[in-house]
Amino acid sequence: MDQILVQTLHGLVNGMVLAMVASGLTLIFGIMDIVNFAHGDLLMLGAFVGASVVGVTGNYWLALLVAAVVIAILGALLQITTLRPLIGRDPLTTILATFGVSLVIQKYALWQWGPSVRRINEPVPGDFTLFHLQYPWYRIATAVLAGLIITGLWLFLKYGKYGIWIRATTQDRVMAQAMGIPVPLVYTGVFAIGSAMAAASGVLFGPFAGVTQTMGFDFTLRAFIVVVVGGMGNLAGSILASIFVSLLESYAAIVVSPAQAVIVSFVVLVLTMLFRPTGLFVPTPK
Amino acid sequence: MLILESVDAHYGKSHVLHGVSIEVRAGEVVGLLGRNGVGKTTTLKAIMGMARRTGGRITFEGRDLQGVPPHGLARLGIAWVPEERRIFRLLTVLENLRTGLDRPGITPAHRDALLEKVYAYFPILKERRHQAGGTLSGGEQQMLAIARAMMLEPKIILLDEPTEGLMPRMVAQIQEIVHALHRDGVAILLVEQNVPLTLDAAGRVYIMEKGAVRHHASAVELRADPRVIHEYLGV
Amino acid sequence: MTAISAAPPRTRAAGYWIAFAMVVGLLLVAPLVLPPFWQRFATEILIWGLLAMSSDILIGYTGMVSFGHSAFFGLGMYGAAAALLTVKPPSLSLALIYGLVAAGGAAVFVAYFATRLREIYFAISTLVFSQIFYVIIFTWTEVTGGENGLTFGQPRLSILGLWSDRFTPTTFHWFVLAVVVVSYLVVRRITQSPFGMVLQSIRENEPRTRAIGYPVERYKIVAVMLSGLFAGLAGVLYALQNKFAAPDFVFFVVSGEVVIFNVMGGMGTLVGPFAGAAFFLLLRESLSRLPYLAEYYLIPVGIIFIIMIIFLPQGLLGFLRRRLNA
Repeated sequence: MDQILVQTLHGLVNGMVLAMVASGLTLIFGIMDIVNFAHGDLLMLGAFVGASVVGVTGNYWLALLVAAVVIAILGALLQITTLRPLIGRDPLTTILATFGVSLVIQKYALWQWGPSVRRINEPVPGDFTLFHLQYPWYRIATAVLAGLIITGLWLFLKYGKYGIWIRATTQDRVMAQAMGIPVPLVYTGVFAIGSAMAAASGVLFGPFAGVTQTMGFDFTLRAFIVVVVGGMGNLAGSILASIFVSLLESYAAIVVSPAQAVIVSFVVLVLTMLFRPTGLFVPTPK
Repeated sequence: MLILESVDAHYGKSHVLHGVSIEVRAGEVVGLLGRNGVGKTTTLKAIMGMARRTGGRITFEGRDLQGVPPHGLARLGIAWVPEERRIFRLLTVLENLRTGLDRPGITPAHRDALLEKVYAYFPILKERRHQAGGTLSGGEQQMLAIARAMMLEPKIILLDEPTEGLMPRMVAQIQEIVHALHRDGVAILLVEQNVPLTLDAAGRVYIMEKGAVRHHASAVELRADPRVIHEYLGV
Repeated sequence: MTAISAAPPRTRAAGYWIAFAMVVGLLLVAPLVLPPFWQRFATEILIWGLLAMSSDILIGYTGMVSFGHSAFFGLGMYGAAAALLTVKPPSLSLALIYGLVAAGGAAVFVAYFATRLREIYFAISTLVFSQIFYVIIFTWTEVTGGENGLTFGQPRLSILGLWSDRFTPTTFHWFVLAVVVVSYLVVRRITQSPFGMVLQSIRENEPRTRAIGYPVERYKIVAVMLSGLFAGLAGVLYALQNKFAAPDFVFFVVSGEVVIFNVMGGMGTLVGPFAGAAFFLLLRESLSRLPYLAEYYLIPVGIIFIIMIIFLPQGLLGFLRRRLNA
């Protein structure tokens, strides 16, 4: 019983971080039809940038900010140099191109920071007791912060001028252009926002298990899974799916090893694609 | 103001416009009549840079539109109300309007005034401003499409079959709006199948057939001599 | 019509076969003249090329990008391992059969589920399926050796029990070359058959192919299975060459490289993937010898890959596409 409660908490916390990763991915997919294979690697790079800033200044919150800004700029540059020329081509070419980007980023990180694990110290100290078990406050703080960032993104999309531009472009690119919305700029902006979200998630996740140059692929895969389970391009769906899948994995980890527990999310993905290809939480396609 | 000089256009490999020349002067309402599939919509799309133009020239206030990015046309003062209306279905009515309203350099007071003006034309849109665009009826969507174009304060509106599929009451309302826009000094290039409405609203009319302009006359002449209309449109 | 297709079909075909014979001839002589390192290198190119060609059936001819070919390749390796470890004395034909059965089994599984999905969904699902196999192999230590994988001895080269001898690097190269040439001719025949034409029609326009009345799903299932079998064959060859099976080869990195080979060499040509594999491996070989670069060779390779996608989407041999499919 205690274990189930702890695992629930664990699942929720992991789910919130994953939701942040996935929301950037789904936003990019929704507007540009781009499956960004490098999303997890941008996360990894953000985590390294964050770890370096923490290393120099000792200030975690500054690191979060710097990582988000740096990776946002990098994302914008990537979009302009590699994805903009591919607009209008088969969407599959964008997977291939972002896969190439992912390779380059990974090896760059290896070159720059080496193969060892970097730790980011927990910015919020202390544990609390939950049924004889110690649970760190930091994880709770992370979940709350992730929730706040996602809410911020949602408010921006809902009420902000540029948020409306983004949603209009997502629904009808041609009409948005006719209304004077600079669509190429919106694309670049969305890619930058998605990248910043990934980087921030990386810094948030850093203290959990450290930062390694290979962590990106795992996050890309997980984000793919929840984005498909939640319905491609559907922000709310991705968030719900992140929490759902993370909870399932958490519970599965009671019975099997965590390495095997990921299979649960693979199974959820396969079932979703077969029976509800528009997403688990969407009754009808848009 | 808007001048098309022997414009050719292609869709894929098929040649759909053959040397179309049309002129719309400032503040003028110009009708473009023709049967289905003669290239009326494509003419508008060629102006908007959405059809592949293979020959000729399109200028707006003396400026060649070749090379103007698609989103630059709105800034120049060209608004497009497409045949399918293309409402942003998941955006609310107000958000739909905001896509044209949130322009750089517009003051809050000016924005409010514009909104109020449009709401005065279309009270139903004010009533439904927080409703998703996709939930509106066909007629309401048409009004929203026109209202959205008006948010750009355009010098010209390209109006593509605004009365298609609408009830007579709605048609009358659209007709009124075209008049009101004309009074405000907005030029309109009106593509229509509805002949009486076009002859009532427009000053001059171009008649197209098989991707080319076949006849050009003032609305007064065409009203006096319906044989031309009969010849090209069969009504 | 271009000048290429203006040439009479007969001479075009003759030119093709002359070129084909010359390439095979060169590859036959290669182990006799090359130093041991490059000899081994040539064999590897053939194996990776075979794997890439198997993926080309999907990428180039059916329009489905598989990001999961490592699963078929890896299962081919583990299948061969199973045969070589459990049956004494180790038998070459059993290694081939076990490997093909393992890869084919995985292919049936993937084909059944993934072919219902299109485009990116197919790509993601193949990736996820390959990860399922990876996790199973990686964590099922008692059977698969887990992280360390399995090592085994090489079987003897025997032909129908008539003749049998130990493999030397040269005979192994010839063996691989024979398998690859036969595979290439078979796959080429398939892609030019009516079945292959339907696959290409699916690539060009899936809804129309369906509307004409072809059971698109069934065609895709067969395509994935064929592709999986040839990928498994490549896995068996690789296992035989290196005498081990390791989870690294079931991991996504291999699938990614397969896609790179195809893009670099030219999708939809069958020969292109071999050229892509050769180009990539040569690039890796030469770049990793540069000072400072070493294991970071993937940085320039990745950049070249991206540039090729943008500016050379047909790949190195794309310009030969018409001729190669003649």
